[in-house]
Amino acid sequence: MIKIIGAIFIMIATTWTGFEAARHLSERPRQLRQLKSALQSLEAEIMYGHTPLHEASRRLAAQLTKPLSWFFEAFSNKLTKAETTVKDAWDESLKEVWKLTAFKQGEIEILKQFGETLGRHDRMSQQKHIQLAITHLEREEADACDKQIKYERMVKSLGFLSGLLLVILLI
Amino acid sequence: MGLEVDIIFKIAGVGIVVAFLHTILDQVGKKEYAQWVTLFGFIYILFMVASIVDELFQKIKSVFLFQG
Repeated sequence: MIKIIGAIFIMIATTWTGFEAARHLSERPRQLRQLKSALQSLEAEIMYGHTPLHEASRRLAAQLTKPLSWFFEAFSNKLTKAETTVKDAWDESLKEVWKLTAFKQGEIEILKQFGETLGRHDRMSQQKHIQLAITHLEREEADACDKQIKYERMVKSLGFLSGLLLVILLI
Repeated sequence: MGLEVDIIFKIAGVGIVVAFLHTILDQVGKKEYAQWVTLFGFIYILFMVASIVDELFQKIKSVFLFQG
């Protein structure tokens, strides 16, 4: 009896791990798309709305959903409350939030490089930098989509089958 | 007798699961991992079978060579 309960626990744990990994894989392209549209609306705010940066990022935080909205919220808070440069505020809020998102090193590097240019140029070159970041993000998104299609089912069945194997070996 | 039937089922189970793992890893192009998984499954079963065959030899020895 105890054996069966233990086997069920092992199966649940490994299957859950597999599904969690698959969720991480499917979350990444979604968040990348969101980030892309966030940058696009940031561009619109800057180009046509002439909105100050903290105001624009506060609006973005209100528009977006969970993990990304935290990032823009932290950024806007840092800009309004503390005496920092835009780059430092951007980097710090990136460091705070990136563990909670599904982003990998590539996107983080793109965002860091984008943060260095933020708020240092006139509107035209700012727009160009935003476009550049969006192009880079599109490339990462295609990569993330490829990975999702390739590995999502594998990870799920791998979790289940490894649990089954473990149970058979231990029984 | 019950023990042997148990072990046969165990070997069959390991075989099926390892075969599934092999095909799935093969499909996504991780050929080297697939081969490692198959190899380890094979080695595990080989050890199990070796210990059973060892028991058999001891029994044969004790029957034909009159040893305790």
